[in-house]
Amino acid sequence: MTSLRQFVTCLALSFALPWLVLIIVPALLAQKLAPMSYDKEKDGRVGVYPGKGIYRQGQIVYASEGCVQCHTQMIRPAFYGITDQWKKGWGSDQSKIPTQPTRPTTMRDFMGEPFAYIGIQRTGPDLANVGYRLADVPREEIHAHLYDPRATHEWSIMPGLRHLYIEKKIQGNGSPQALKLTGDAAPKPGYEVVPSTDAELLVDYLLSLKKDAPIPGTIVSTEAPAAATPPAAPAPAAQK
Amino acid sequence: METTENHNAADNLRRASIDRSVKGPVLFLYANAALWLLTSTVLGLVSSVKLYAPEFLDYDWLYFLNYARIQPAHMSALIYGWAFQAGLGTMIWLAARRSGQELRNGKASIVVATFFWNIGITLGLIGIFFGQSSSIQWMEFPAYVWPLFIIAFLIIAYRLVMLFVMSEKEGGFKITTWYILAACFWFPWVFLTTFLYVHYFASTGNGAMAAGINAWYVSSVIMLFFVPVGLGACYYFVPKITGKPIHSAQLASLGFWGLALLGGWTGMQKYMGGPLPSYLPGISGMAMLLLLVPAGVVVLNFHMSSDGRRGLIQTSPTLRFVFAGSFAYVIMAGMGALLGTFWTGSLFQFTYAEYGYHLLAVYGFFSMTMFGAIYYIVPRLTGCEWLSSRMIRSHFWFSVYGITALVVLMFLGGLSQGASINDPNNWDQSVTGSIQIARGYLIGRTLAWALILWSNFWFFIHLVFMILGLGRRSIAPTLLVHDSKHDYVPGTLTSLTTTAQ
Repeated sequence: MTSLRQFVTCLALSFALPWLVLIIVPALLAQKLAPMSYDKEKDGRVGVYPGKGIYRQGQIVYASEGCVQCHTQMIRPAFYGITDQWKKGWGSDQSKIPTQPTRPTTMRDFMGEPFAYIGIQRTGPDLANVGYRLADVPREEIHAHLYDPRATHEWSIMPGLRHLYIEKKIQGNGSPQALKLTGDAAPKPGYEVVPSTDAELLVDYLLSLKKDAPIPGTIVSTEAPAAATPPAAPAPAAQK
Repeated sequence: METTENHNAADNLRRASIDRSVKGPVLFLYANAALWLLTSTVLGLVSSVKLYAPEFLDYDWLYFLNYARIQPAHMSALIYGWAFQAGLGTMIWLAARRSGQELRNGKASIVVATFFWNIGITLGLIGIFFGQSSSIQWMEFPAYVWPLFIIAFLIIAYRLVMLFVMSEKEGGFKITTWYILAACFWFPWVFLTTFLYVHYFASTGNGAMAAGINAWYVSSVIMLFFVPVGLGACYYFVPKITGKPIHSAQLASLGFWGLALLGGWTGMQKYMGGPLPSYLPGISGMAMLLLLVPAGVVVLNFHMSSDGRRGLIQTSPTLRFVFAGSFAYVIMAGMGALLGTFWTGSLFQFTYAEYGYHLLAVYGFFSMTMFGAIYYIVPRLTGCEWLSSRMIRSHFWFSVYGITALVVLMFLGGLSQGASINDPNNWDQSVTGSIQIARGYLIGRTLAWALILWSNFWFFIHLVFMILGLGRRSIAPTLLVHDSKHDYVPGTLTSLTTTAQ
């Protein structure tokens, strides 16, 4: 290793290999990824997977607020003791005692997103399927939670996003979007708190987070005759 | 504390003229770095409090200080403000000394590049605080500031490489040179790949791959910039201070090429079990495990090289910091392997342990070696000696206790958090692990940052005095012997009664 040129060549060769294998080739393959369509015969439903994507305008707010510091968007499959698939409310099944495990997140779930905000840490709950979780929650309650997280759960350490809301004087009967706030968070008398555009975008984004649509070819139709497919478990559960 | 060889006057004069030629750029980088280190430590302290007391400083007009913004600001200031600038300053000095060349051309271009680098950090932090964060880990600065960084880096790296090109006729074994040149070469490649992909090409591709490349970037900055620069400094200072050559050239070579072959494969393990094709995290986890070998080899080499001279750790501030740093490097490799493989990684994934690992890499290993380098380099540039060995000692001990506490707490906190997340009994409680169980560890994290803040405050003051030329006028270096006579007392004449020379 006497000359600089030889040295740099060796460096380039040793780094080019991981660069190609780990970055370039998978990135090119990822570009080829295409949506899959459901088979009416096998899957019992029509359409394509992934279906409706996320709400991109709101995702920009999600990023600029730094939510990824504490919230992940990734359901892990069951290996080495991981139980993500059985967490209450983390999937599409929002019943009290879910019967179907949540599906692990796949690459296609992030199609159409320029950057997958999978998350840095999991300090708060996973948000991959928060759209299902919030589906039946009134919109102003979601806003109230973002405005003052400790009003709903006093143990929460989530920062309140008060700067995304506007406190203004009540005019006439007040705004229909006004948050119903009580206790410390309530505005002074004669005032009301209404969400800004960014807050509305953020909520729209959260509502669009639904990464639990079944993958074509793995669906067990519950409506099908019992004799047809009783023992065939869905793919995720098979990894148990 | 010079080498025992070549003590003739001509050599000393040549070294002095080389030092003089890099004085401006190196001191400018160090001064800015120390300021950002202090800033980042304060931000880290506040952000650690936010994790268990979110009401702290939660006024309407301070909305931008919430955890989701202050945490990326803290990490960015630490990495790009402190670590990169301290690293570049040390690289310039090492390159000039190793190549035996004076920095003739390009002093002004390095200073201007540094100036714009700092403008970039300032703009980037303002961007994060006021809602333009990209939320891409370690690349949270808004997209428009990054060209400043890469252009500034390339200008400085070009000058560094030119120093070596001009001195190429000098043959022989140059392990420090290898590490520094490699860092100049790897970082722009890693950075440009990631930056261009996540900001420009990802919109045509797939978001999951962009996230994977981001994870690769974080790990590559550690493995292919911080590790080579830190080890390059270690390989320079250990033989320099002990006065013994590096024990084994073969081991040194093995350590270097082991890192070169494996370093680029790491990172994807962050998203193990995630949406990436599973061979990516698999390969990365394996690379993290294999990296234990070069790490062990390098530290074994340092250990053997200092054999019989380890008493110098007591007296030499540089050797003390460099040794602490190289020790942290093995711990870091071990922790990286634990976090990287599937068997244990499933427990640590997405927990506080990752933060502990990053701080161990950036502070425990890299910053400690840079502190050691600064304690050696700055007196040679300013022509005066460090004022007080007491200040150096407290900088060392508070840093060591602080970072040890931080890493241990985050490791154990991450372990209990991960165990709680994975516990089937917690199927309906998703956040007890990160809020209730980890609370004690998080309070400890604040105490650890308080210790580090104390140590860095004195380091900053000390460095500012040195850069202003207000150091001790003495021919004897400031050593850490337990003798209060060495401490400078303001208003008195400096004593020259040193016991160890």
